[in-house]
Amino acid sequence: MILCKRKSEPLKSKVVKLADEPYHIINIVFAGVLVLILGYSGIFSPEKDNYPVVCIHERLTGQPCFSCGLSHSISLIVRGRIREAYEWNQYGMRVFLFFISQLIFRLDFLRLSIKRHEYRKQLIIYDSAGSALIFLISFWPFLVNIIQGIKNII
Amino acid sequence: MEEGKNNSGQNLGIAALITAIVTFVLAVIPCVGLIAIIPGIIAIILASVGLSQASRSGAPRGILVAGLIIGIIASLISVSQVFVAGKIAKNADKWPDEIQNLVRDVQDDVVKDLEDANISIKIESDSENVEINVNTKQTDKVQKLEEMEGVNTHKDDTLQKKK
Repeated sequence: MILCKRKSEPLKSKVVKLADEPYHIINIVFAGVLVLILGYSGIFSPEKDNYPVVCIHERLTGQPCFSCGLSHSISLIVRGRIREAYEWNQYGMRVFLFFISQLIFRLDFLRLSIKRHEYRKQLIIYDSAGSALIFLISFWPFLVNIIQGIKNII
Repeated sequence: MEEGKNNSGQNLGIAALITAIVTFVLAVIPCVGLIAIIPGIIAIILASVGLSQASRSGAPRGILVAGLIIGIIASLISVSQVFVAGKIAKNADKWPDEIQNLVRDVQDDVVKDLEDANISIKIESDSENVEINVNTKQTDKVQKLEEMEGVNTHKDDTLQKKK
């Protein structure tokens, strides 16, 4: 009986530790969101063109925007059709790599945070800085587009 | 009880931060950028409620503040997508004008070419040769008309200064 208690205690404490730490919860939720995004790209097919997300800009202005064809592009990348993906949207690969890198980041930082709990603060700093840098590199053309839009109006 | 209050503030902070980061990524993508204002506002509300709870119970506010700041920035980026829509709409307005100008230029060129055209048709058969020459030059037509009428059709319509 005592042996049993001793065996179950570390597992329970580990589960509690995982749920208590906000950083762990955030990592788990984001990993789930990223899996959902990749699943969305895998489920909806570019041939059937059954994507539920419609471009708001195209609806409002009647003209295609900068990110039109991004869902098609990522779906094609998931299926390994890279050349076709570039034809749909040239920035699809950047966004796809951002999602993949973030998925790896979430899982890896979660593992490190559980294993090396004493370095948690440093890990959060490295994670934030790295993620921000990857975001800037991946979405740079989109950010430039927004800045140009604001400049044109002003 | 105290611990429960602290936890509720923390949970709201986690929810706000996750919503804010997702909003941030969505807001940058033009197709869905305008819709991102909704989760952006939700993130701000969650963070604000969490902050008020945390300040009452003295709980840590790091995540809540981060969620609030990222939520506000994401909402601002989402609102700025209106400008991008404006840019696209502006370009859309320009395009028909450009096409109209192009068509007008082509029309003018065609009319000019036809005015100066010199058409000659030759029909050759064993016994007969027929040649038709058509000169559509406007200046020649005017000259011929003058010759036929014997009058100068050109009127000097420039204004003369009164002495």
